[in-house]
Amino acid sequence: MALEKIKPSINFSVLSLFGLILLSLQLMSSATQESSELSRMYSWLLVVNAIGSIVLLWLVGANIYTLARQLKQREAGSKLTTRMVSLFVILALVPAAIVFYFSMQFLHQGIDSWFNVEIDRAMEDALELSQASLDQRTRWHLKKTQQIANSLESTSGPLLTQEVDRLRELSGATEITLFSKPGKIIVSSSINPGEILPSLPDEHIWLGLRQNSDYVALDPIHENELVIRAIVTIKKPEPLYLQALYPVPIRIADLVDSVEFAFLRYKEMGFLRHSLKLSFSLALTLVLLISLLAAIWIAFISIRSIIAPVKALVKGTKAVASGHYDEQLPVIAQDDLGFLVESFNEMTHRIAIARDETRKASVEVENQRAYLETILANLTAGVISFDADYKIRTANQAAYRIFRIPVNHFIGHTLIELSETTSELAEPLKLIQRLLVQSDDIWEQRIAFLGHNGRQELLCRGTPLFSQEGWRVGAVTVFDDVTDLIQAQKNAAWGEVARRLAHEIKNPLTPIQLSAERLQHKLANKLDSSDATILQRSTQTIVQQVEAMKEMVDDFSEYAKPSKKLSIAIDLSSLVQEVLALYTLKSEVKFNTYYENSLLVINGDPISIRQILHNLIKNALEAIEEKGTIDINLHRVQKNSTDFIEIAFYDDGPGIKEEQIEKIFEPYVTTKSKGTGLGLAIVKKILEEHGGAIWVDNSRKVGAGFIIQFPAYTLIHQKPK
Amino acid sequence: MYITISFKACLLLSIFLLFSINNSQADNFASAIKSVYIDTKDNNNSLVANIDYPLSDKAKEALQNGVPLFWNIYIKIHRPRNILWQKTLLETTVHYRLQYHALLNIYRVINENSRAINNFSTLSAALDLMSNFRDAHLLNQIDFEKEKQLVIEFKVEFDRNALPIPLRPIAFLNQQWYLSSDWTTWLWKK
Repeated sequence: MALEKIKPSINFSVLSLFGLILLSLQLMSSATQESSELSRMYSWLLVVNAIGSIVLLWLVGANIYTLARQLKQREAGSKLTTRMVSLFVILALVPAAIVFYFSMQFLHQGIDSWFNVEIDRAMEDALELSQASLDQRTRWHLKKTQQIANSLESTSGPLLTQEVDRLRELSGATEITLFSKPGKIIVSSSINPGEILPSLPDEHIWLGLRQNSDYVALDPIHENELVIRAIVTIKKPEPLYLQALYPVPIRIADLVDSVEFAFLRYKEMGFLRHSLKLSFSLALTLVLLISLLAAIWIAFISIRSIIAPVKALVKGTKAVASGHYDEQLPVIAQDDLGFLVESFNEMTHRIAIARDETRKASVEVENQRAYLETILANLTAGVISFDADYKIRTANQAAYRIFRIPVNHFIGHTLIELSETTSELAEPLKLIQRLLVQSDDIWEQRIAFLGHNGRQELLCRGTPLFSQEGWRVGAVTVFDDVTDLIQAQKNAAWGEVARRLAHEIKNPLTPIQLSAERLQHKLANKLDSSDATILQRSTQTIVQQVEAMKEMVDDFSEYAKPSKKLSIAIDLSSLVQEVLALYTLKSEVKFNTYYENSLLVINGDPISIRQILHNLIKNALEAIEEKGTIDINLHRVQKNSTDFIEIAFYDDGPGIKEEQIEKIFEPYVTTKSKGTGLGLAIVKKILEEHGGAIWVDNSRKVGAGFIIQFPAYTLIHQKPK
Repeated sequence: MYITISFKACLLLSIFLLFSINNSQADNFASAIKSVYIDTKDNNNSLVANIDYPLSDKAKEALQNGVPLFWNIYIKIHRPRNILWQKTLLETTVHYRLQYHALLNIYRVINENSRAINNFSTLSAALDLMSNFRDAHLLNQIDFEKEKQLVIEFKVEFDRNALPIPLRPIAFLNQQWYLSSDWTTWLWKK
């Protein structure tokens, strides 16, 4: 806005400066006329023009410097400006230089042609002729004066005045004066009676007269008037001097004056010959220089204004190329370039609208993609997609969780390449790859592998992907860890078996026991001692075995029934101490307990929890054969922002073999000679019902270690009992 | 850094030397005012100045070739005052022209103010007239009865702008045409 305000003033300044320079040149041209009033200002005008040319030179220099800088910085339009300015300068300079060269030639030759030897000689001769003519006339007048002097030699006294007057009139002299000595007038006669004092000779003339008796010369009495002054000596005892003044005829005086003027003028011109050439050359050079510099300067300004829309277009194009589609250029003029700028603005406007729409659509697509990614990431099932070459394109978080391999790092690789990084998963991955390649339809396969948490089972489904044209463009596989599901199914099956066993077996056991006791009671007294002993032993065995079976059935029913009957807050440290109090009487067992100094409270059924503790302690006691040390640690841990209470049981028994760890929590799996193999299975079942977990910890090299974990009680639950 | 300083020093020295040479050359041909005083003999007060005109060869050559030479003599007479500025009593310019006449082979000195013409057969005689400046009429307006002391400022200027136009640019560039004197100040006391 401010620039627009300044622009007219710049144009005005440009025009003013240009006008001033032209005026100064015109004035200088006028001043070269000697008669002109400006003649005296010639030097100043020359200086003003020189300053003007320096100013123009500076302006042109500044423009060239700016252009050079723009070229160096590769500014838009600078190359085009350079080309146009160069072209203009060449077009202007070449004819101007030619005209200048020939003008100088003509000028110098013209000035030289004014002078030649003949004219020189003629001028000299003309002057000499004039001098000779005057000289002849003066000598003639001298002779006449001598004749007057001779005639006056005999005249004296009062007649002298009359005689002088007569002789003056006779000789045509304007004035005749008789001196006795320098400055002393005896008689004087003049044609003009008004002139009292006659013309007196100066000291130089008197000095000459003393050396020579006569004197004659042309005397300029006024600026352009000549008289012939002749002085002769009248020889007497007291010498007298006769001075006669004779006028030079006007015609002769004019001619002589004209000759002298022409001679001096010619001589002056001859003297000024080189100055004249130099002066004209300087003026011509100055005019050419000013004209050229002004033209170049105006060319700069004009070209800049022509280039401005092109420059703006280049800048705008660059802006569009760098993604700024909102670029709108100012329309300076309603010409072809203005139309181009308007078209550009329309184009960028449309591009901006299209860009906004595209951006909106891409944002929507991106949102959809992010939504899908979120869904995929939060799926419990692992999803891996493949391209047409069966190279991994995407993999969700669940894939990592299941495989424990950062599948995302293997984008662009096949599953075969992925399998090379892990020996455990090599076979399943190869199998999936094979199924992907071979299957033309949806496939499903259960794949087992030894994973981080032991044996894991995957339910894997694969689907080849086809384009609309029917080309195979890739595949997707979805897999889920069904280990827990299968385990739950197994547990349910075992629970059902246990429930039926308890139901079917427990019922006949009491009659069997009662029948055996009745046999003992009825027949003990009727048999001899040896048979009675056998009976006694047999019925006792039956009763014992029935008891054992009852216990087993109780265990089964315990395993089968749901354990979490109540749900209340339990202080685990107190509960552990209570349970341990029952075992501290065993003198050969040392219990080391450690309770973390914090709230160790869980939510659950106290009877079931108590059973867990009993089972684990019993297990440990049996492992150490009731002789040794059992360490029990209680502490709070945090996993995935959730608090858990952990109880670790360590004994110094024989420990658990690696191959047994995998199946130790399954029903009917035991390392002991006695036992149903349901203890740890029940513990695991109760823990799972309470949201907890159990695992074997073999980090200690001695004995066995079990860690159980419960979700910690939070304050939103009721206070512990 | 040292190179820059030495370059600057050389540049300054060159400019100084150039000015010194120019000034010395200018001094060779510049008019010199030897003395200025007021002659009060016979109750006739005349301003008298003794001026030296050492004409350069170029100027003599130009004169000999018919180029008239012009001088302006600037005269200022002030009355000095103790508290106030000095009062200007007279401020005038006397114009002289020196010209050669080839026909009569004479040098003519013309006082452009009084139109007095003096012809001389030699240049030195013509310059002698110009050198012995004497003017009785200039001081008519000053009442010498009142004045006890006067300050006279005197300057002789060679008028280059009166030269023929082709010669003027050269006259401004060539030191041989620097024939003017500086202002000189003289004190006259009764």
